[in-house]
Amino acid sequence: MEPVFVDPPVSGPRPAGPLSKRPQQILAAVLVLVVVTAIVVPSRGWMSEIVALLLLLMAVLVNAAAFGFWPGLGSALVALAVFNFFFVEPHLSLMAAQPQDMVVLLAFLTAAGLTGFLAGRMREQVDSARDRAVVLEVLSSASGALGRAGSEAQILDTVIRHVTTLSDAPVALLSRSPAGLVPAPGSLTPREADLQAAEQALIRGRVEMAIADGWTGSHLTFHPLPLGAAARHAIGHRLPEAVDRDTGYREQAIDNVLRQAGAALERLELGRKASEEREISDRQALRAALLSSLSHDLRTPLATILGSVTTLRDLRGSLPPEAQEDLLSATSEEATRLARYVENLLQMTRLLTGASVALHPVAPADCARAAASRAQRAFPAASITADLPDLPLVMAEAGLVEQVVFSLIENAKAYAPGPVLVTGATDGPDIRLEVHDQGPGLPGSVLAWLATPDLTRGEEKSGLGLPICKGIAQLLGGRLEARPGPGARLALILPAVTPTGAGGPI
Amino acid sequence: MTARQLILVVDDEPQIQRFLVHALTASGYDTTLAATGAGALEAVAQHRPDLMVLDLGLPDMNGKTVIEQLRASSDLPVIVLSAHDQEMEKILALDLGANDFVAKPFAIGELLARLRATLRPRRAAAGGTTGQAALLRSGNLALSRDLREVTVLGAPVKLTPKEFDLLLALLEQPDRIVTHRQLLLRVWGPAHVEDIVYLRVFIGQLRQKLDLAGFDASAIRTEAGIGYRWIHPD
Repeated sequence: MEPVFVDPPVSGPRPAGPLSKRPQQILAAVLVLVVVTAIVVPSRGWMSEIVALLLLLMAVLVNAAAFGFWPGLGSALVALAVFNFFFVEPHLSLMAAQPQDMVVLLAFLTAAGLTGFLAGRMREQVDSARDRAVVLEVLSSASGALGRAGSEAQILDTVIRHVTTLSDAPVALLSRSPAGLVPAPGSLTPREADLQAAEQALIRGRVEMAIADGWTGSHLTFHPLPLGAAARHAIGHRLPEAVDRDTGYREQAIDNVLRQAGAALERLELGRKASEEREISDRQALRAALLSSLSHDLRTPLATILGSVTTLRDLRGSLPPEAQEDLLSATSEEATRLARYVENLLQMTRLLTGASVALHPVAPADCARAAASRAQRAFPAASITADLPDLPLVMAEAGLVEQVVFSLIENAKAYAPGPVLVTGATDGPDIRLEVHDQGPGLPGSVLAWLATPDLTRGEEKSGLGLPICKGIAQLLGGRLEARPGPGARLALILPAVTPTGAGGPI
Repeated sequence: MTARQLILVVDDEPQIQRFLVHALTASGYDTTLAATGAGALEAVAQHRPDLMVLDLGLPDMNGKTVIEQLRASSDLPVIVLSAHDQEMEKILALDLGANDFVAKPFAIGELLARLRATLRPRRAAAGGTTGQAALLRSGNLALSRDLREVTVLGAPVKLTPKEFDLLLALLEQPDRIVTHRQLLLRVWGPAHVEDIVYLRVFIGQLRQKLDLAGFDASAIRTEAGIGYRWIHPD
């Protein structure tokens, strides 16, 4: 259960919190004694001393049980004085005439003292357990909130609320910025001395204790957050009142909350670094894919062109006409293949430079149809059919979507001699553009690679086509997926535009 | 009229096979094709070719494995086709017994020249002069195996025993690449096969002495990272 949090005032002093009730308790104890005295004193004529003793003892018991050991002991002494003053000869004095009266008084004092002591100890244990429970509740709430926090602002807000509750006073949370230390929203407006203390805590990377009352300086204890030299924030709080029984727990709890907040901030930082590293490694993977494919996709057409042309040049006299014709055809085919590959290279370079792609709502079905038409023009002998309904818009760049579908068709055509079919469908929050062929299906190594986030295939002679498709799909916030056969079925899955306009992350 | 020699072309790229067949046929060779390492070994057993042109990037096994398996039973000359990213594999293939290499992409003239150089000793063996001749000549340089003597324009050149052995190893296989490892193994023995720096120093000294004697030492051509090749001066 979330504890009740008190909003701190913008600045200035603050009344003691719910855990500092000493003055009220003393007042209540006195009131109990006054009421009992008011009952027993007028009744002296008819009330026996024993009854009066019992009533006074009961008042001691009530005070000890309700307010603890010291109020109980004080009540015992006051009750003894009342009994002596009004019931022991000589009346209206604190003397005792008879020795047995002294014995009665001593017995009463002992009984009252013991009663107060026992009841008070019990009371204090109860209070202590309750205080501990309150602190633990705050701690557990802080722990949960910090564990769930997904941003620095959420972490800082959690710290401010919980430390405010634990220290029963507003806290100042200051963050480094180019303009100096800036107070976080919802925290105390710092004084000049507070700013200096916070600066010291950040420079030294350790806690800067509050100055004692009566001295000039900050009355807040500042902790760097996270602890150490890498701190970017400093949080200042008043130490809980020393008169409170649970001061120790609360100081420990504050430390605990701050340590957890530090860990949460470090977790966020690590997450940020991890995602940066992932991005870098994706780029490196793309570079590796590029290099591994260069040796294959670039070398073969070049070797064929150079070999065919030099054969024509050096051996033309010995070559029959049909061989010359064949060599010219090979040269032209490979030059076309090279041109396509260079286009792929340019695309890959775009992906590698990490330049953000401008996304607009585009109609995926139109892109797929355009890709199918382009593929049909490029491979007139192939049978390429596009059968797509109109689909919801996606956030993308039309050219990129078209290129993925074109590459998938090209891939299908390279490995499967039969007709190629391009289809599309809505799939929950996504849209799916699919390329089917009637070939032998995708090899296991390709299926395994598609299931990983890797862009490289890690195999010799794996071309650039599929890695580029996968790279573009990831860039558009989607993915490339293999579907069960017959034949090979590769699908580009992209998130459809939601009413809020969310698209793929870039 | 001598029978046409048979060249086995091993490459999994149909386009490469296509122009190689035309070029080799037009140059007076017969050809047979294989697209895999296993197919290559089978074709060697079946057709007994005179030379194999072997692409190192085969789908089923790497070039090193093909050469290893081939050399277990045959001394068929092999020219490997390699890409720049297959540098290590190329060196291994040469150390294992490939006779020469051509880097892709290549002009057909280069491959045909390598082919002729590789086939030459075998044809010479058929004609009677062998690489083991007592006197080896190259331009104005002569090396006498028996006298362990080298002359340029008839004047003796003072070489250390190691320099002489190095020169002999290169001269015995003109136009053919000899890898660092092969030279080190032959001249210094198996304990020194890694001492390439050592080899470079001796080659440097040999070139210097030949230059001083009036012989163009650029006949010793460096094949960067692989070895050396003796090119007969024009």
